[in-house]
Formats: sequence, C-alpha cells, structure tokens
Amino acid sequence: MPNPREIKRRIRSVKNIRQITMALEAVSASKVRRATAQALSARAYANTAMQVLTDIASSSGSVAALHPLLTRREQVGTVTICLITSDRGLSGAYNTNVIRVARQFAQHLGRPVRWVAVGRKGRDALVRLRENVEAEFIGLPAWWTIEALRPIRQVLVEDFLKGYADEVYVAYTEFINTLAQKPMVQRLLPLAFDEQSALNRPDYLKMMEKPESRIADYIFEPSAAAILEEIVPKFVENILLELVLESQASEHSARMVAMRNASDNAKALADDLTLSYNKARQAAITAEILDIVGGVEALRAQVAADAAAADAREAIKTHTH
Amino acid sequence: MANPNEVQGRLAQILGAVVDVEFPPESPLPEIYDAIRVPLEGKDDLILEVQMHLGNHRVRTVAMDSTDGLARGMVAYATGAPISVPVGPPALGRLFNVLGRPIDQRGPVVSDTYYPIHRPKPNFEDLTTRPEMFETGIKVIDLIAPFTKGGKMGVFGGAGTGKTVIISELIRSVAAVHSGVSVFAGVGERTREGTQLYYEMKDTYRVIDSTVMVFGQMNEPPGVRLRVGLTGLAHAEYFRDQGKDVLLFIDNIFRFSLSGSEVSALLGRMPSAVGYQPTLANEMGNLQERIASTKVGSITSMQAVYVPADDYSDPAPVATFTHLNGTIALERELAAQGLFPAVDPLASTSRLLDPAFVGEDHYNTAREVQRVLQRYKDLQDIIAILGIEELPAEDKILVARARRVQRFLTQPMFVAARFTGREGRYVPIKETIRGFRMILNGELDHVPEQMFYMAGPIDDVLERYEEAKAKGEI
Repeated sequence: MPNPREIKRRIRSVKNIRQITMALEAVSASKVRRATAQALSARAYANTAMQVLTDIASSSGSVAALHPLLTRREQVGTVTICLITSDRGLSGAYNTNVIRVARQFAQHLGRPVRWVAVGRKGRDALVRLRENVEAEFIGLPAWWTIEALRPIRQVLVEDFLKGYADEVYVAYTEFINTLAQKPMVQRLLPLAFDEQSALNRPDYLKMMEKPESRIADYIFEPSAAAILEEIVPKFVENILLELVLESQASEHSARMVAMRNASDNAKALADDLTLSYNKARQAAITAEILDIVGGVEALRAQVAADAAAADAREAIKTHTH
Repeated sequence: MANPNEVQGRLAQILGAVVDVEFPPESPLPEIYDAIRVPLEGKDDLILEVQMHLGNHRVRTVAMDSTDGLARGMVAYATGAPISVPVGPPALGRLFNVLGRPIDQRGPVVSDTYYPIHRPKPNFEDLTTRPEMFETGIKVIDLIAPFTKGGKMGVFGGAGTGKTVIISELIRSVAAVHSGVSVFAGVGERTREGTQLYYEMKDTYRVIDSTVMVFGQMNEPPGVRLRVGLTGLAHAEYFRDQGKDVLLFIDNIFRFSLSGSEVSALLGRMPSAVGYQPTLANEMGNLQERIASTKVGSITSMQAVYVPADDYSDPAPVATFTHLNGTIALERELAAQGLFPAVDPLASTSRLLDPAFVGEDHYNTAREVQRVLQRYKDLQDIIAILGIEELPAEDKILVARARRVQRFLTQPMFVAARFTGREGRYVPIKETIRGFRMILNGELDHVPEQMFYMAGPIDDVLERYEEAKAKGEI
C-alpha cells in the first residue's frame, strides 16, 4: 500500500501546479483577445502594403531598381534569419515548433546563416545548438509598437544593406485561430516577388506571389525615388510588425490552450491521487480494526479454553472422588 | 513397534494442523521441537513437532503432514529427538520432503550422518565475511545490487512480478557453472515449478549430482511449510561444515512466515500486527541467522520473498529485509510496462555497492544511473501535467537518457526464452558498466530508445543500430 502521507504530499504539489496553470490560463485568455485583434488589424494593413509593393516592384524594372531594399541579388551567399519566439515558456509547443521550422529552413537553404533572435527561448535554443547568433532581443515588451520594433528592423535592414546577408527571412508563428497556429518562414528582404515556382517550396515557406495582371499604374510625385525612399522602410517595418503581432497572438493562444490542458491534466492526476489516498487511508483503518478485533477474539478464545479446561479438571476431580 | 527410549502418549485434541498430545504424569514430557510420531495403519508414521507445553502433561504440536483420519485417543510416541534428516553425499542428486524422506522414487537414502533440522547458529567468532562480488550476468542486478560471495540476497516482489523467473535464471547462470554444492528449498510454491526445476537440473544443466532439493509446496499443511526451509538449511549446513562453498536457494521465504501465522492462532497465540504471529521476527531470525558463512565454508543464499499486496511495509517482508546483504525489489509498474526483469533500480540495494569493494567506476556508474532515474521519476508529475515540451533543455536530455537507461536495464532471460522468443544473454559486469557509461555520457543519444530494449551488452544495441541503418530504416 502506498504511504498516505507521501500521496498527500503529491496531491498538494499537483494542486499547487494547477493553481499556477489556472492563473496563467486566465491571464492568457484576457491577453488573447487584445493580441488577436491587433494581429488581425495589422494583417489587413500589411497585406495591402505588400500588395502595393509587389505592384510597384513588378510595374517596371527601372522603378524596382530605384530602391536597394527592392532589389534582388544575383548571387545569394549568407542569409539572415530572424527567429521570433517568446521570452517565457509554459506555452506548449509554441516555441519548439517555430525553432524547429526555422532550423529546418536553414538546413533546406544550406547556406551560412546569421541568426537574429527575438525572445529568450529562441536565443537559448540557438546558443545551445551553437548557432551563429548575431543579435538578440530579449525582455520583449508586453505589447509591440513600431517604436519597440525599430532596433530589430534596423539590424535586419542593415544586415541586408551592408551586404552581410543577401536575403533576410523571418521565422514566426502565423495565427490561424485560438486552437491552431502555424510556424512559418517569410522572406522580408529583398521585397521582391519570387520567380521560383511554388511547387518545390517547403509548405512552411511564405513568399511574395507574382501579382495578378491587375497592375495599377502609379504616378509618383515628386519622384519615384523620393517616394520609395520614404515608404519602403516603413513598409518593411509594418510587415515585420505584423509578423511579430501574429507571433504574439499565437503565443498567448498557445499558452492559454496549453495551460487549460495542463489544468485538466492536473485535475485528473489530483483526482487519481485522491482516490488512491482514500483507498490507502481506508485500508489502514481496516487493518487496524482487524488487528484489534483479531486480538479480542484470540483473547476470548483463550479465556473460554482456560475455563473449559478448568471445568474439565473439576469434573475429573469430582468423578474420581 | 515402540522403541524402548520412546515415551507413549495419546492424542488429546486435534485442531487442523495443531495436535495436543497427553503423556502419562509419571513420564517426562518431550522437549520443545522434539518429534512425536503417530503410527498409522498402512502409511508412514505421522510426525508431530512439539511447540509448547500446556500443563496437565499435555504438549501442543504441529503436524508435518495432513491430520486427516486422526482421532482422539490414538497412540503417539515421543521420539526424544528433533526431526532429523539424512545429509551428506548420499543426499546429492536427490529430492526430499521436510522429513528427509526421498520423494523421487529412487529408493531410500542411507547416510551415516543425520542432522536435526533445529540447530544452533554458528558462533559469533566463527563468522566471516568476504566482500567479494558474485557475477550473475544480469545487468541490473550486477550493477545496482551486486551479490556477495557468502552473502544473502533477497528477491522481493508482489504476485506475478517475476521472482521465480529471477531465481531460476540465477540457478541457471550460477548453479550451472558453480563448482560446489547447491541446495534448493521449495517452500510453499507451485509444485509444477519445482518439478520443472528438478528436470532442468537433471537433464538440461546436468548439475543434479551436486544438488540437493527439498520441497514442501503450497499444497502441503502449514507445519511442512514452516519447517521445510530448515530441512534445506540442514543440508546446506552439513556441506558448509565440510568446507564447501554452498549455494542455497529458497523460494519462497514468505511462505515460511505465512505458515507460522496459519498455526499461530491455533497454537493459542494472540495475533500481532496485520494478523501475523507475535513471534514473527524471532522465527525469521532463528532461520536467517543460521544461513551464514563460517571460517570453514560458505553459504551464499538467494531467497525469493513474496510481498503481499505489493506492500513493502507488510511485517513479513520487513522482518526479512534486515537479515539480508542486499535486496532486489521487483516493481509491478515496470512489469506492466514490459520492462523485464522488473527490478526497481531505486529500491534495490546491496551492502557491496561501495567503492571500496566494487571499485569507483562501478559505484559511480550505479549511482549515476540511480540519480538519472530518480530525477526522471521526480519529473514525471510535471510531464504528466505540462507535457515534455515545458522541461528545460537539460531535463529533456536527461529524460531521453533515463528512458534509454530504463530500456537498457531490461534483458532477455534464458529461462524465459519460451515466453519472450529471445535467447537469454549473459552480460559480464565490465560490459554492463561500459554500456551504462556510454548512455550516461550521451554517446548514444542518437540511437532510438527501443533499440535498447531487451538487449544484452551495449554492442547488441549498436549492432541493431547499424543493421537498421544499413537497411535504411533510420
């Protein structure tokens, strides 16, 4: 029989864990709503920005060449991958999945990678795997803003402009709904659609599609160069913000679901343990009662036997006399 | 019919296995543990053993066979001596019951030496201990609970966890290559297993000529199961006193405690905790203290101990624990997972597991294995609640290694080849240590964990890995 005291200790620790997971679930649940709203509104904006950019990029070669962030390089050497994870754990497979996909992608490319880690979990994983981490951003803000994002954007753009990397990718987690999130990789720079067909592309890789023939004819005022100079960096920032917000919404959803599961598991475990505790307790009581009753019965039998023996002796005595 | 030295008495009361005998007031009462024989028509004499003096010239005895057909007033003779059994070379190769009567239908056994089954334990100054390891070829036992030459080991386990399989495997790997004498005492276990063992010793291992087997199985009355261990022990003691190294196997020592409890209440003793006899510790002590190695010869004993309801705090196994040099604890949870032998590496111990005796390397490896498994066990609740993803990276690695260690602790058994379909493997201790070292050092993190299951030495695992790789399965 397991020791009741030991079971009780385990029940207590399981219940404590459950309290924490329930609290985290509640916190995440309240954050999910805001993060989801942010992500969805950012998505609409970013998608339109993307559309405009691809339109510009494909409108005529000369315009695209006007801005370095739009220019594809002939020879691609080193690439930069920005890995977006969370600072905190207890979010199920959220971090593990995106890290796995990012590494899979790096392997798929087969080129030297400069990693930019956003979030402590990703940083830790990359450091442990002895990857080349060029920059890390930990202690992330609770809510992302363009300002908070600026240093990350700067690092990524600089990598590209200074030629440290010929392409910049972002590994993030796309928010589908509260129950489903999908780790993805998207190319951030250069902001040009990909000629490569979608066929031999891994399913986690998101690329700019060649736009439909519906090409708007833009008129640039004062000049295309001046306009692009102004809007391209902003668009980069916006796309990045969208990816970060998607990740954040995913993180909170993943955490909420993970914590709900954890709370359920803890409850099931606590129930199981409580049952075995009650069984052990009852068994101990039964054993004790049996011991006492057995002792009493044995004593009674002995007293009776002694009395019978005395009677017999008495009878023999009277008989012989 | 009656021997002149014998005192005649009459049966006064028959209570199952407990019989009271009354003697005439003028003759002396038989001593405690003396044998009393009751002649029966057309059968061997029924032997009773005196347990207590009741007063009024009565003694209370325990019967060494069924008491069917006894009647009050039947004549009984006090033999003036305890039950004595023929020991020595003529006993080798033979099969006995508790009274030293051969039961293999190969004629009577005549020996010039008869030992009473109740004998004093060896003197304190004659005892020796040799801290020397006894290799069994079973990885988990050699690593975690190494056997001592001349020591006592207990195999503890609930019903159906594999005690008898382990004892049989030990007999196979140890007795089969042992040069001395082996004694097997079957106490209250299945007759089928005893028969099987006898034929294996006789026909498969061909070591029956250096083996004495004594059986008092579960169909026999409590008196038999209470004393058959002593009969086996008397044989072992004889050979020890002749300067031999003796192996003594007892399966199952718990039945000895249980039979004591069966007769205890009938003997008129007040039951103690959980209904056991109040003399439990004393009875066990008297038996266990005699299983000892002296300056003359040694007895290495291996005892199976049944653990009722898997409760290790039950008084019977507890009374046994303290007498042993080491314990091998079998765990139902492991058996349920198919991890055989189901030895719990965290609960099994041996006094020999000390760097001074087995060496630093062995000691450290064993402790490290235990540490990793203990940590895995501690993490199990967390894994159950939060999932393995939430563990810190180093714990994830530890869990992966712990699972490999757990699987590598399994091993196919020779005696279980019929059930597992795998030929048994004997693993020298050096190989065992090397294998666990490699796992703990992380050299095998890339090998899938199921490849460690039911393997012999670590080279088996590597071979499987290479094979799978060659086939392109990995």
